[in-house]
Amino acid sequence: MEKYTLIITEKPDAAQRIASALNENGKVERKEDNGVPYYVAKRDKEIVVVPALGHLYTVAEERKGRNYYPVFNFRWVPRYAAERGAKQIRAWIETISKLANDADMFIDACDYDIEGSVIGFCILKYACGKKESVSKRMKYSTLMKEELQKSYAELRPHLDFALIEAGGTRHEVDWLYGVNLSRALTISARNWSGKYATLSTGRVQGPTLKFLVVREKSIRSFVPTPYWEIKAEVEIGESVFEAKHEKEKIEIKTEADAVLNACKGKNGQVEEIDVKRFQQKPPVPFDLGTLQSEAYGLFGYRPRRTSFIAQRLYLEALISYPRTSSQKLPPAINYEAILKKLSRVPKYKKLTKELLRKPELKPREGKKKDPAHPAIYPTGKLPERDLDDSEKKVLDLVVRRFMAVFSEPATKQSMKVCINVNEHHFYLRGRQTLKEGWLRFYKPYLRSEEVLLPPIEEGQTIKVKKVISEDKFTKPSSRYNPSSLLKKMEETGIGTKATRANIIQTLYDRKYVREERMVVTNLGFDVMEVLEKYCPPVVSIKLTSELEERMDKIQAKREKRENVLADAVEILKPVVQELKEKEKIIGEQLSNAIKRARLEERIIGTCPVCGTGKLMILYSRKTGKRFIGCTNYFKGKCETSFPLPQKGSVRPLGTNCRGCGWPTVQVRIKGKRPWMLCFNPDCPLKRERRKRIEMRNMR
Amino acid sequence: MKCVICGRETGEEGYCELHAKAYESIDKKYDEWKKALEISWKEYLSEIVKNPLTGEWAKEVAEYLTKSGEKRGVTKG
Repeated sequence: MEKYTLIITEKPDAAQRIASALNENGKVERKEDNGVPYYVAKRDKEIVVVPALGHLYTVAEERKGRNYYPVFNFRWVPRYAAERGAKQIRAWIETISKLANDADMFIDACDYDIEGSVIGFCILKYACGKKESVSKRMKYSTLMKEELQKSYAELRPHLDFALIEAGGTRHEVDWLYGVNLSRALTISARNWSGKYATLSTGRVQGPTLKFLVVREKSIRSFVPTPYWEIKAEVEIGESVFEAKHEKEKIEIKTEADAVLNACKGKNGQVEEIDVKRFQQKPPVPFDLGTLQSEAYGLFGYRPRRTSFIAQRLYLEALISYPRTSSQKLPPAINYEAILKKLSRVPKYKKLTKELLRKPELKPREGKKKDPAHPAIYPTGKLPERDLDDSEKKVLDLVVRRFMAVFSEPATKQSMKVCINVNEHHFYLRGRQTLKEGWLRFYKPYLRSEEVLLPPIEEGQTIKVKKVISEDKFTKPSSRYNPSSLLKKMEETGIGTKATRANIIQTLYDRKYVREERMVVTNLGFDVMEVLEKYCPPVVSIKLTSELEERMDKIQAKREKRENVLADAVEILKPVVQELKEKEKIIGEQLSNAIKRARLEERIIGTCPVCGTGKLMILYSRKTGKRFIGCTNYFKGKCETSFPLPQKGSVRPLGTNCRGCGWPTVQVRIKGKRPWMLCFNPDCPLKRERRKRIEMRNMR
Repeated sequence: MKCVICGRETGEEGYCELHAKAYESIDKKYDEWKKALEISWKEYLSEIVKNPLTGEWAKEVAEYLTKSGEKRGVTKG
């Protein structure tokens, strides 16, 4: 049999696109072995493109079993040997091994970043039989035909071993931390209570939870202080505007009252008008973090969701590689060609034409760089299928951002009018756009409002309709949301662009936090208390970011894997020792926390009947059926109970019914949309609904 | 010893670490309230219990102080 070239990709979609791009004779052949697809492309020599399913290999302990710690000896193994639910990986590895037997040339075409490099390296080393040293590397940032062909023509002579070493070390260090600390917590709790519950922490997860705990503590201990804001409603022409007192916060009530009394019934006079013109520069291109943050602000998508959507768009060759930290757009991507392709979309036609008329296309770029990929940009390719709503939104956002970066700055004007009312100064502020510039391209996603003021002159008398004093209180810091937390992780340099969103999701999965505005649960507090008390180094933000820096240095060949690993073990050893010694006391604390958390999960709210008990989801001892009952029942004080649907899952919603104010639950049944249930039989909304149905039936 | 509010373990004193922090915050802010509104400690506690911006732990401590009638400066934390 004639030998062929074997190309390995990270995902099946990428394999298909690469095969199609490289095929020169006839149609690409799709074949399957043991359920694993691969593609055969024909040109001067046959090319077989086989995909992976992300990571096929992982780090695992040398000695089998999950019920012990500490564990410092590890090796790389197929994922099916280490993880439950990864059975299908065996078939993929077997197929790749089989295909490798008849190949005489190997190309790693996995994503060109730290994770992709580790994926390709492990497959070449373990599945293909030590082909990592002879393999060549394809580097590309989009799955567009031309770029793939160019990348194949200009193959890199070998793998990027420094990147692989850095990526491998990161996996190993994270595994050492994760497995030892998580097992210590889980085993302690299980040994104490005899019940199993997954508790986890890790090198990045611990410090991330710490950010949340510190913020939550300050919010829960917060005491607001009063202050007063004085506003004057002024009439200019036929419009009424609001002017604010020069002292934005008045901290003493008598002082606020004095201002109010002095201004009551008095008119004002324009003392000074300050007009400022300024330019607002276009935004910089998206890196993954800023795309995630923008998509969260605009559409409410959590970072992990945006990351998935962007990955799908990339695999359909609609945008460039999204896991990038770059905010640069090199001319090599061919701005003009992309804009021309985008002009085929009716809604972009006018806008792209405007840009294409410019004598020179020069993007505004940000500071952040990525050695492997440019910033995220659209390829200009039209979708081959109907995109879903979320994909359409993210794609439009990427396209508009791309166009905006080539546009002119916007010119804005701000106006500050100082009105003297009986020797008290009030400021009236206006803001307007004089020249739209890049704002036209980014219009659907702009969030600033214009305040247009009528013509005003200095010395003009202004009618003051009324002066009001508003009672205000200082507010606590805002809770993190997934997007602001991701930003915080970026700023402090913990985690990577590929891992941050998943770590945030893990905090939800472990029930350390709940809700969109991330509220730390009691379980989250208890886990943090244990970690801070018995192993402070593992929640130290400084230590974590220092370790990150050292791992980055491996990539730059300024640090060695062995040193980083040895130091990581050096930090871990005493920590795990301490956890082991205190296993009993830690187990008791965590078990109680888990018990409390499980109980809390079932509390719906205060009983609206007795007002002192709590309504809870309970299970009948006789029938096993679930219902809502009041905790005061056990004290013989309240017999309130309500039935619940027996199918699906029920969880407290944390919000009250808008009809009757009773606490509500959410019911989820597979295949149906979750719904909110108010269990008050006399809820006015229910009565209305019943009436509507009766009327409809009568008609 | 257990915290007088939540039953968590404490050291020698009556509040756990979390409620002690809340008490500290209540005590510290009283001077600002007094200057702003000229109110007594008791009135202040009742105001912060009612205020929706007051943190959960601070509210619990204020409620406890109101019920127990403790005067300012008698720290538990």
